[in-house]
Amino acid sequence: MGSSGNARLPAIVAISLLLPLLLVGTARAADVSLSSRTYLRFYERDAGGEKNRFIPAYEYLSGDATNLGGKPIAFHFYGWGRVDLAEESGSGKTAGEVGSAYLEYLHPQGNAQMKLGRFFLTEGAAMETLDGGFVKVTTPIGLGISAFGGAPVEYSILDNTKGGDSLYGGRIFFARSGFVELGASYLKEEGPFQGEDRELYGGDLWLRVAGPVELTGQAVYNRSVREMASQRYAVRIVPGATFDISAGYESYTYKGLFQTTLNPAFVFPSADNNDKVRTFFGIVDWAFVPGWTLEVAAKNIRHDKADPGDANRGEVGLRYTYNGKKDVAGLSAGIVSADQEKNEYQEYRGFATYSPSKFRLALDALTQQYKRAIDGKKNAYQVVASAGYRLLDALQVSGDLTYTQSPNFQKDYAGLIRASLELGTSTGGKK
Amino acid sequence: MTRRAPFAAVFGAVLIALLFGCSAVSKTPSVPPKHPEELAAGRVDCLECHENVSTGALKPYATVRHSRVFIDAHGTYARQGQNLCSSCHAPAFCQTCHAGKEELKPNVKMGDRPDRMAPHRGDYIATHRIDGRIDPGSCFRCHGNKNDAVCRQCHK
Repeated sequence: MGSSGNARLPAIVAISLLLPLLLVGTARAADVSLSSRTYLRFYERDAGGEKNRFIPAYEYLSGDATNLGGKPIAFHFYGWGRVDLAEESGSGKTAGEVGSAYLEYLHPQGNAQMKLGRFFLTEGAAMETLDGGFVKVTTPIGLGISAFGGAPVEYSILDNTKGGDSLYGGRIFFARSGFVELGASYLKEEGPFQGEDRELYGGDLWLRVAGPVELTGQAVYNRSVREMASQRYAVRIVPGATFDISAGYESYTYKGLFQTTLNPAFVFPSADNNDKVRTFFGIVDWAFVPGWTLEVAAKNIRHDKADPGDANRGEVGLRYTYNGKKDVAGLSAGIVSADQEKNEYQEYRGFATYSPSKFRLALDALTQQYKRAIDGKKNAYQVVASAGYRLLDALQVSGDLTYTQSPNFQKDYAGLIRASLELGTSTGGKK
Repeated sequence: MTRRAPFAAVFGAVLIALLFGCSAVSKTPSVPPKHPEELAAGRVDCLECHENVSTGALKPYATVRHSRVFIDAHGTYARQGQNLCSSCHAPAFCQTCHAGKEELKPNVKMGDRPDRMAPHRGDYIATHRIDGRIDPGSCFRCHGNKNDAVCRQCHK
């Protein structure tokens, strides 16, 4: 996060937490739900012949208060924190983050809405976490407008580059129910991104051509570097509840997409700024018999540069749902073939869950086989076994044991204890 | 453009909305902020109950059926609006993966849910070298300017 964002965070959180209190006095009703996930991990690592033990404890807390004051106003909160009970597992013995804390107004008609605070936003060219505001309105003729602005919440590990100072933009769109949605969007972020601000123009389309056939498109032009950042176009056929097929094309340029990165993995010399990726893809999801689903996916990935070169990825998977849809078992296989041997591998996975009464058991096994050895090893394996018990309707506890053998781990055992608490004052679905 | 510009843009939009008042807002009922019925665990199929077009997304429910096709392309749909998503998913749901400073991989948090699609299964530190070379754009969405605490250990 940029320094300005850091400075604003306490104010944002304080205002977001206090604003709902203003409505308490007039509250005729409020629906409150609280979700807590607590994780206690155990693992060891060898460093220079010395064995270190790590026991980080994580708490993930989210809360939603809706219908505040009997009005369509809601307050949402999500955040997490870590405390190390043994060796330091990350940057510092403690860590944490407020992921979101915002007030939301949802108008009863036309999906008009406003948000104020810290929130995750996807709107046209934007996919951001923002300390700021958002408003969206659709008119009776289907034309709509949205706008957002504030301070971006970003984290930089790139030397001498902090995140952006401010970010704003909006989208105009036309939607006709069940037929089309067409949008044009704009985003500008003021910041030191390789000497330029970030300025994007976006276009998006959903079009139901006929019956079950639909087209989607999404394109983003990076004006700062005068380059298309990314494009994705697909045709999809969804004739019913059992069959879904899609094929399409997507592309991006390193220069256009990675211009605003704050991670050295996406800048030279880690990445060649002149490369471009074009991908043709196809996906099928077919529930051929009740309970059984076949999934097939394929990608042809083409690079302008000989290094890394082109690659093909194929996947096939079979899922079986049983026990009143509470449990699933699956098998899958994935194969990557490539111009360069170092980019080729195969992946096989099998998993199953079983939930008798208040118990929940799960087993997940995965192996990867690399064509060329990574750090002297050609194979990787991981098995995760999980067992849980529902102590109360609102409280479930479970434990995982993970075994890993890979280029990074000779024989690694890791444990995790999980407690999940769900409290709420109203019925209805929230997942 | 000054630093006040983003705030001016937001307040300008709010002002326009207020000036037009409710008469400028579509009369189509909004999608409920919360799904009125309890939802079962596991992958829910909207088409078991809904046949028509969603008032939230203004798209047929078949479009948002959570098949592998939809899950792969969910970002395309989310960029046209989040209302329908947030009717069934708590706001924190997106941030299970689309977080800012996350330290736990989604599949570690959901070790008891192997049926969920979660990126980075296995010892992904090894495999990401390959996936990162052949399709770095897929990494960039989540690790370009956030979620990079683990990246920092090697990418300096």
